[in-house]
Amino acid sequence: MIASLHDFCPASSLLSVLTTMRPEGMRGERRGREGHREAETRVPRCCRNLVLHPSDMLSRLVFVSASALKSSGPIGAGVVHASRCLHTSSQSLAPVPPLPEKGGKVRHGFIPEELFQLLYPKTGVTGPYMLGAGLLLYMLSKEIYVINHETFAAASIGAVIIYGVKKFGPSVAAFADKLNEEKVAKAQEVKDVAMSSLAQAIEDEKKEQWRVEGRAMLFDAKRNNVAMLLETNYRERVHMVTNEVKRRLDYQIALQDLNRRLEQEHMINWVEKSVISSITPQQEKESIAKCITDLKVLAKATQAKATA
Amino acid sequence: MSSLSVRSRIRKAHTFLNMAGRRAALKAIDWAAFAERVPPNQRTMFNNLKTRSDAIAAKLTSLPEKPPAIDWSYYRSVVAKAGMVDEFEKKFGALKVPEPVDTQTTVINGQEEEANKTASAYVEASKARIAQYEKELEKFKNMIPFDQMTIEDLNDTFPETKLDKEKHPYWPHKPIADL
Repeated sequence: MIASLHDFCPASSLLSVLTTMRPEGMRGERRGREGHREAETRVPRCCRNLVLHPSDMLSRLVFVSASALKSSGPIGAGVVHASRCLHTSSQSLAPVPPLPEKGGKVRHGFIPEELFQLLYPKTGVTGPYMLGAGLLLYMLSKEIYVINHETFAAASIGAVIIYGVKKFGPSVAAFADKLNEEKVAKAQEVKDVAMSSLAQAIEDEKKEQWRVEGRAMLFDAKRNNVAMLLETNYRERVHMVTNEVKRRLDYQIALQDLNRRLEQEHMINWVEKSVISSITPQQEKESIAKCITDLKVLAKATQAKATA
Repeated sequence: MSSLSVRSRIRKAHTFLNMAGRRAALKAIDWAAFAERVPPNQRTMFNNLKTRSDAIAAKLTSLPEKPPAIDWSYYRSVVAKAGMVDEFEKKFGALKVPEPVDTQTTVINGQEEEANKTASAYVEASKARIAQYEKELEKFKNMIPFDQMTIEDLNDTFPETKLDKEKHPYWPHKPIADL
């Protein structure tokens, strides 16, 4: 948009175009913004930035030629900056300073502010306007610029374009900025997610290392288990020994008891048998006779008791 | 018995815990701390180990340390066979119950050394991974903010965004499907 405006003012356009030219970038859309009328020294900053963009050879050339044309106070500074722009030393500026937010300041849409600053010490505030008016009058009167039908066409088209830009410029710029913001926001989100996931991964790795440190406990547990099993086994063995010995002794006791009982019974039986066998028939007859007489006496006694 | 003691002596020289002889001091294990360190995918194994250990410990505590002493005087008075009880008593006192042979502690120690080796290897790999992550994190931290980057800076920081102008010489320099 600026380029099209400049088509009609070739002489003063060169400087402004090239001062506002920047390498293409994510912020390229921003530079299409209109409406910066405030004066601001642009030379040092843009120079610094242009140092770092090797694609911007042309603007450096412009500054060289511009500094060759000028001759007053700011020019001294311009010369210094121009020489800085030319990489006279082998060092380059680091860290990279940020890219400028806005394009070079211009007055009335196409005249760079630097011209006004340049002429201010000598001619004051109205100086550049007088220069412009004088140049215009000179060109018209000397017919260096001839008024023809093209002039009116240019004037009409210029009016329409200026009206259009003034009316719709800000909204279009806002729309373009929004697109850019979305891109930046997406990239930022990606970066944030990446950073948080990396931090999380680092935390997880540290946790895993901590876990690994506990491996001694596993082996302690295993050895404990082994020791406990051995101890249990040993105790079982000791218990078994004692129990076996006890059982043997108890067996002996039981055996003894059994023997004694058998002997007793056997003896009793034997005694009985021998007694019975020793009863002779004579004794038996006598005992039976005695029994009968006893019985008779008893019968008599009971009979007597019964009748009495 | 002497061969056994020789063997057990050798084993004592090798084992690290059973130095105090038969009654190896059982190391107190903090199961809670142990459980914390177990990763979730090994939890079932840990639970099995714990139940086994608890079962073994319960069995151990259920057995009294010394069996009840045999009442020799009673047996001497009751048993008629002369000298039998005395003989038993003598032999019983002289008997040394052999300790069970510990075959597993060396195996466990071998396992532990192996585990230490793999663990140190894993920790090394983990540290390398952490270093890599930290490097990438540093790269992200030291990146210039997006709203101050140019396309060249973007291509430098994220090489995958660089448009291959040789492969696709015409705009948009990438396959249409990738737009």
